[in-house]
Amino acid sequence: MSESLLAARGLTIRFGGLVALNEVDLDVAPSGITGLIGPNGAGKTTLFNVITGLLQPTAGDVRYDGRDIVRWSPQRRGRAGIARTFQRLDLFVGMSVRDNLRASWEASVPGGIFGRHARDGAALVDAMIERLGLEDVADRRAGTLPTGIGRMVELGRALCTRPRLLLLDEPSSGLDGTETARFRDLLVEITGTAQHDRPAPAVLLVEHDVRLVMEVCEQITVLDFGQQIARGTPQEVRHDPAVIAAYLGDSGAELTGARSTELTGARSTELTGARSTT
Amino acid sequence: MLPYIVLGLFAGAIYALASLGVVLTYRTTGFFNFAYGGEAMFLAYVFWQLRDRWHLSQWISIPLLLLVIAPILGLILEGVFRTMASRSADVQIVVALGTLAFFTSFVPIVFGGTPHPLQSIFSPTASFTVSGTIVTANQAGTIVLVVAAGALLFALLRWSRFGTATRAVVDNRDLAGLIGVNANRVGQVAWIIATMFAALAGVLLSVQENLVTYVLPFLVLYSFAPAILGRLTNLPLAFAGAIALGVINSVLQKYGSAGFVAKLEGSIPYLALFVLLVAYGKRLVEVRSSVRLITGAHVIGDNTKRYALVGGALAVIGGTVLPQTLGASTVGDLAQAMAYAVVALTVVVLTGWTGQISLAQMSFAGIGAVVAAHIAGTHGGLFPLAILVAVLISVPVSLLIGIPSLRLSGLFLALATMAFALLMDNLVFSSNSIGGGLTGLNLTAAKIGPLRFESAQSQFYLCGVALIVTAFGALWLRQGPVGRRLQMVRDAPDAAATLGASLTLTKLAVFAACAAVASIGGALLAITQGTIAPVNFDSSHSLALLLAVVLGGRSLISGAVFAGGVQLVQLLPLNANVHTYLPLGIAVSVIMVAREPEGLPRVSLQQLRYCSAVLYRRRMRELLRLRPTTARTAHAVGSNV
Repeated sequence: MSESLLAARGLTIRFGGLVALNEVDLDVAPSGITGLIGPNGAGKTTLFNVITGLLQPTAGDVRYDGRDIVRWSPQRRGRAGIARTFQRLDLFVGMSVRDNLRASWEASVPGGIFGRHARDGAALVDAMIERLGLEDVADRRAGTLPTGIGRMVELGRALCTRPRLLLLDEPSSGLDGTETARFRDLLVEITGTAQHDRPAPAVLLVEHDVRLVMEVCEQITVLDFGQQIARGTPQEVRHDPAVIAAYLGDSGAELTGARSTELTGARSTELTGARSTT
Repeated sequence: MLPYIVLGLFAGAIYALASLGVVLTYRTTGFFNFAYGGEAMFLAYVFWQLRDRWHLSQWISIPLLLLVIAPILGLILEGVFRTMASRSADVQIVVALGTLAFFTSFVPIVFGGTPHPLQSIFSPTASFTVSGTIVTANQAGTIVLVVAAGALLFALLRWSRFGTATRAVVDNRDLAGLIGVNANRVGQVAWIIATMFAALAGVLLSVQENLVTYVLPFLVLYSFAPAILGRLTNLPLAFAGAIALGVINSVLQKYGSAGFVAKLEGSIPYLALFVLLVAYGKRLVEVRSSVRLITGAHVIGDNTKRYALVGGALAVIGGTVLPQTLGASTVGDLAQAMAYAVVALTVVVLTGWTGQISLAQMSFAGIGAVVAAHIAGTHGGLFPLAILVAVLISVPVSLLIGIPSLRLSGLFLALATMAFALLMDNLVFSSNSIGGGLTGLNLTAAKIGPLRFESAQSQFYLCGVALIVTAFGALWLRQGPVGRRLQMVRDAPDAAATLGASLTLTKLAVFAACAAVASIGGALLAITQGTIAPVNFDSSHSLALLLAVVLGGRSLISGAVFAGGVQLVQLLPLNANVHTYLPLGIAVSVIMVAREPEGLPRVSLQQLRYCSAVLYRRRMRELLRLRPTTARTAHAVGSNV
């Protein structure tokens, strides 16, 4: 396998006494989809915030494309080709969907603020709207959209920067079954097709829908309580005892002893479902 | 040297008291009290009323002032400001400035505008000698009183339960709440103490400077520099800074009390404020609770085209009808109001669209006016050149202010622009060679190419065209990449950052552009006024302009037109009462509608629609749709230009 596009080593972050991430390593391949899973509170979104520069790690470093980016501002990372979506929708609520995408494109292009290459931008935005099926809502204000469509807008907004690395934070939460299926096809398409003059982006996917992750990801990293507990192909992860323990409780073999809060309970069924088919 | 040091200690002590008050409320409630000087002045007048007019004994009037009136005022103000606690910084600043304007307009109405002397609360005649220097009882008493007050506050914060609670609140407001510290109660006590200090500072200062309504609030601004020296949180440092400032100022008097040195003396506190803001830079951190702030909702208008059409049509009709039907002097006033609206538009763009509070827009206008008069005063044909020069001066000046302070948060930009405006008042506009002294400057026959702007009608058309061009320029800016950039950072700062959008450069460019447009507006004002008194461009006019725009709707082009209308009312020869009560009315209304980016007209319209819907018993769904909205919901419902 070629060298990683993003390589985090020994990432640690503490909030006062709470260790949110503890010596986490993460590799994202230059193409394809890498999965990042773990129960609630495992530190997935924190890891995203560290990678995009919204949080400074207490220790550890992040290398992107061979360069150490840990001291870079979020803006610089964005311009270097890292884009993300947010678990809690963070749209530009006062703008139309089209303007959301256009603003994002302008932010990513040098001189975009002065209207440079405005025509290219408009073309890209139109194409993106069509690709994501947002034609009907293109002129609606983003703050008035339902969550499912909002997630699409966020995806489009991130794609409009033509990223090399796309971080998706639970893109399917709030989507219904058909929307999720459509989203999965879209995800595969995105990582398979070049964007204009640039290669297809690599994707780091945080997702609660374990089945979706198992289907689309080539590599998966599993976090629990800020620790990386497993890493490998979907096959390997699925059979990893530590993963099973994290999802199902300490005595992983006993399904009834599952750490069954409502959320992990749902997850565990999915995992066992997946497991029983293999 | 010793006499100067004594004088300096005495003056510094009063500012120290004020600095303590400003820092105390800021660090416990996160609210920077621009109105502090206004409170001090009001309370000094109250004391004068009690003791000198009603002839209450000092032994009654002082306790009454400090233990009853000041605490009540403190509690009222705390109540007003607490409702703004979760609002964005610009709203809080606007409310504080509105309160300042309230006091400066309220006091002359209640107590009369004429200056009065105020006799010392200590023996007015007694004095003693320290190694050859005469020290009056007033000076000694003031210094002792202030040191005692400072020591008392220190002890209170160090050893009392209130002190512990304050430290908890300062450390982490939310955690303090969780462990059972009532942050509101702490805030109330802090406001009470701060207002008591304001009363003392006001009385002590008035003894020295007399009761003058237009001087006292500005003198208290001297205490802002020491407050910043203590980074708005460190009380002992603020105290020491104020004393040092007083001594430095006083010692300077030894070397000259006339000409430039004298002016410099008066400006040192403002200079210090500006320099400290720049020097501290990013180390200045705002005290904030972690509550997610409700930012004013701004929506890039859906109805912009409709409003532009209606506005354009009105402009055409007004332009053809008004100059023919109204008298020349009214047409001239209209022209002046429109030039004023051009300057007001820069406030809309800055405050309404980028959330930056500039208290120096009239100073930039003043640069334009003064430059225009100097260059085109005798040769009217040089007016275009004058505009060019004005822009070439105001843009670098704005960058000088903007580059250091735009990286800081809103409060510090407001303070930096205020310091700049006060420096302009003191050093530049007051200079006889620049500002023309008492006679002012003349600009009577400006020409642009073959067009002469001498008659009121020609000025009307000039300013009207300028206003329309500026308004459409602002709209174009807003609909384009710049508008989107500003909006994205307002709506979702984190998302905007990760997409690579940096705002510093955009904000700076907008700030510089606004300075340029304001200076052009100032040049137009100069044409319409004919004779320019630089006093009309001082810092208090920047404040009045800001408040008028906020009232008219700071996110709307029509807000600037509204501010022009306010100016028109002040220009027209109306009943004197209108001129007296208008500023008070504006101040009170601003405090009430500061949170609404669309200002008073839009809010009243909403209320009116709601009421009529209730009257006509519309269906519930429609009522809900029409319900008067706060800023938070307004952006889901409202739309604007």
